[in-house]
Amino acid sequence: MKLKSAVFLVLVAVACLSLSSWVLAVEPPRNETLIADILTGKVGNPGNFNFWATWVGNDKGLQQLVIDPLWMADYVTGEIINVLAAENPIYNDDFTTLTVKLREGVYWNDGVEFTADDVVYTVTLSMATPGLGYHTQFNQNIAEVVKVDPYTVVFELKEPNSRFHYQFLDRWGACRILPKHIFETAEDPLSFQFNPPIGTGPYKLVEYDLGGYWFLYELREDWDRTVTGMVYGKPAPKYVKFIHYGDASKKAMAQISHELDMADLTPESLQVVLSRNEYARGFYEDFPWAELLHPAVTGAAFNTLVEPFDNPEVRWALNLALDAKGLALTAYDGAVAFSPAYIPALLPYYEYYYEELQPYLEDYTIEVDGELYQPYNSNLPFEMAEEARRKGYTVPDTEKEIRIMFGYGWWKHSPEIAEKLLIKNGFSRGRDGKWLLPDGTPWKIEIVCLTTSTNPSFKWAFSIANQWSEFGIDCEAVPNEQVEHLTDMGDYQVVGGQPAAEPFGAGIDLYRGINVFKSAFFKPLGEERVGHQSRWIDEEIDGYIAQMELTDYNDPKNIELGIEVIKRLIDGQPGVSLASFPGFMGLDTYYWTNYPSGENPYAVPWYHWPNLKFVLPFLEPTGRE
Amino acid sequence: MFKKFFIPRMIQYFTVLFIGITLVFVIPRLLPSDPVSTQLHRMTSQGQYLDPAAVEEMRETLQELYGLKGGMLQQYFSYWKRLFTGDLGPSFTQFPTPVIALIRMSLPWTLGLLLASLSLSWMIGTVLGGIKVSFPNSPFSKATELLAMGIRPIPYYIMALVLLILFAFLFPVFPMAGGYSVGSKVGFNARFIKDLLRHSFLPILSMVVLEIGGWFLQMRNVASNLVEEDYVVYAEASGLPKSKIVFSYIMRNAIVPQITGFGLNLGFVFGGALITEMVFSYPGMGTLLYSAIIAGDYNLIMGINIFSIVGVSTAMLIIDLLYPLLDPRVRYQ
Repeated sequence: MKLKSAVFLVLVAVACLSLSSWVLAVEPPRNETLIADILTGKVGNPGNFNFWATWVGNDKGLQQLVIDPLWMADYVTGEIINVLAAENPIYNDDFTTLTVKLREGVYWNDGVEFTADDVVYTVTLSMATPGLGYHTQFNQNIAEVVKVDPYTVVFELKEPNSRFHYQFLDRWGACRILPKHIFETAEDPLSFQFNPPIGTGPYKLVEYDLGGYWFLYELREDWDRTVTGMVYGKPAPKYVKFIHYGDASKKAMAQISHELDMADLTPESLQVVLSRNEYARGFYEDFPWAELLHPAVTGAAFNTLVEPFDNPEVRWALNLALDAKGLALTAYDGAVAFSPAYIPALLPYYEYYYEELQPYLEDYTIEVDGELYQPYNSNLPFEMAEEARRKGYTVPDTEKEIRIMFGYGWWKHSPEIAEKLLIKNGFSRGRDGKWLLPDGTPWKIEIVCLTTSTNPSFKWAFSIANQWSEFGIDCEAVPNEQVEHLTDMGDYQVVGGQPAAEPFGAGIDLYRGINVFKSAFFKPLGEERVGHQSRWIDEEIDGYIAQMELTDYNDPKNIELGIEVIKRLIDGQPGVSLASFPGFMGLDTYYWTNYPSGENPYAVPWYHWPNLKFVLPFLEPTGRE
Repeated sequence: MFKKFFIPRMIQYFTVLFIGITLVFVIPRLLPSDPVSTQLHRMTSQGQYLDPAAVEEMRETLQELYGLKGGMLQQYFSYWKRLFTGDLGPSFTQFPTPVIALIRMSLPWTLGLLLASLSLSWMIGTVLGGIKVSFPNSPFSKATELLAMGIRPIPYYIMALVLLILFAFLFPVFPMAGGYSVGSKVGFNARFIKDLLRHSFLPILSMVVLEIGGWFLQMRNVASNLVEEDYVVYAEASGLPKSKIVFSYIMRNAIVPQITGFGLNLGFVFGGALITEMVFSYPGMGTLLYSAIIAGDYNLIMGINIFSIVGVSTAMLIIDLLYPLLDPRVRYQ
């Protein structure tokens, strides 16, 4: 019996060791492979690469490495990059014709040349096939699309549209160009798997996991016949692997083990990685570690059709009851770039908008009980810097650097002004000090938010709820899986999330971020929204947006119009416009260095954006084995 | 016998199937989310610029494509019609991929994972439980009981995380994620099978370790009652060998509820093991079902649940039909 047990145990041990020690011979060399996280998680349909139809697995490396758009936005440099297009879009005077000049000498990875036929086919196929991503938009806008010569395409539009090319301007999403010679062999373009994917990007698919956890790409031998090669040079990694390890704690473990070079982490997991991996860094080498300038403004939105949030003075009072510094410290340990103007804090927008708006904001007044009050605190970034220094963090000294890091300012914490505004509007405090509505009933606010605890929707909702509770309102944050449905139907009071839509972040035009406030898109409560979730509209804004639509997208007049829209948004306060989306990215420099960073912001740093292919030529191998 | 035993059970089986399948048609439609809105949100949240002017028209187009335009009754009848031809319809979130194709992709992983862990834990737990009752004072039995009682209350995700941290991070002998490695050629070959086993080792171990305790305790409880039954006492008094008493008198009788439990659990494998899949980033039906519920993908929810309903009902039916073979008392009744 004893002998049998011993033999059994030995066999088990041998089996375990044999399983664990087995290493694949065909795994690509680690020091030639860049490994990045699949941000949106496990891919549900890994063998389907036809993202014109399904939008499945967009982040599995396709948009980052294989497929190209006509134009691409870079929110770090503010540039709009000509990718497959050779130059900027050319509109005629009344914006009814768009001419697109294409690059010459670009080849698909199966050796076929990219030409105007591909662009025309992408558009006509989309128009003819319900269910393709751009079917509706193209049919609404395009009268005809024609190839003038192999490198020129002309769109005849049904109505004047000065921004039609935005459908092709990639900002983590656009109508990219598909290969005609592949898709025309497909019986049904909707169910076509597009496997293997054929693209004009510098990498080709080698292999993928049938379970949807990883995808491996290899640099094309003819990388010099791609836009990336022509414009930026040879990408450094021979292989790029996209992998989903799981939640932030698993990503942290993988990064500590040097098995994940680029990852989206939480503030907490990033700190763990930094303490355990001497080669790891955040977007900044030191505080605030996170990428703070991102083209999405976060905070909260009021449902402006629901009492008492339909009253702009109440919305102002709720904003002034907030202590921005406290919010930033609670939610992100102070790593926040404030964005009070409903557009994100971004280097290009600093230049075009925040610099221009700063004097206006400093002089901005609201009237309370017949007295004028200036609510703006332009000193907040310096207070944040001081707070960070007090915590022992290293923070830049110059005004410019501090403003780049923390933004231009936010509203003063003014509970006494908020109190006056509420009392003026019929609110009162009960015996327990809690606020009562004008009808004398207790004021209860519910802030719905996403259930993902790392998302700003969640983080801001809880921090704001805490401060409004301290101010005397019975307020709670409620994470809800159905938050999108609730906001779609207008069945909420306040939602943690985005107080305005996301602009391109590149170029001067804010149209993408603000046209959601057009009154043409207004829907009453109970009907699915089309415009912004706050359902706030404004006649003056309609006028400015109408002027924008008649103005070339690149005309500096858009800056003036954009500023006017922002001023109306500030007056109306349809939300709590707090800060740009802070991104806690972990970067391992064990195998690769020279990632885009806070110290060297040369391009969009996120590996799930299509811009990754333009970053890869700048990465430098360390040569470590 | 056929009339009294077989026919009522078949009627019961088909009634359960009909009610279950009808419920999985109705319940997802009570969700507040709808697949069209979810798809539009997904498109925008993954970066696509949707001009608000296009949103309403796109909603109409998607409703038409997804077959959600008719009334509930109309949809219900076409659902049964499709079902009889073996068509579970397209997934909305991955339109137009057929639901059956998605299930086909995930099911083998889940079956492999759950059948292996269920069978192993059942066999080990049942045998150990039987040994415990038959040799209650041996050090091995005492140690086994102590372990089973100690491990059983540990929350599953804690156990899974501990194993992952120990054997994939601190002592990285097993992989941290996935079903197989890069470079592994998928197929029925030794190399791939070895890689597959290596990746599934920790997920299976995590489930087996905890489930053994449950089977052990159940077996011990049932068997300990049997030890004092007259026929066991009589067999001992008659001087029958201990092994004969243990296997033929105690374990054979105690195993009937174990088999029922095994059969029931067999049916549940179609639902997947969500936490295991998430902790070990292992492919399977759990995450497929979870994402379908979040996205309001009616067809996918229905498809997966139909597998579960058919699985559990069929397992129950088979056990019911096999009972007379296992337990002579049922035959006599």
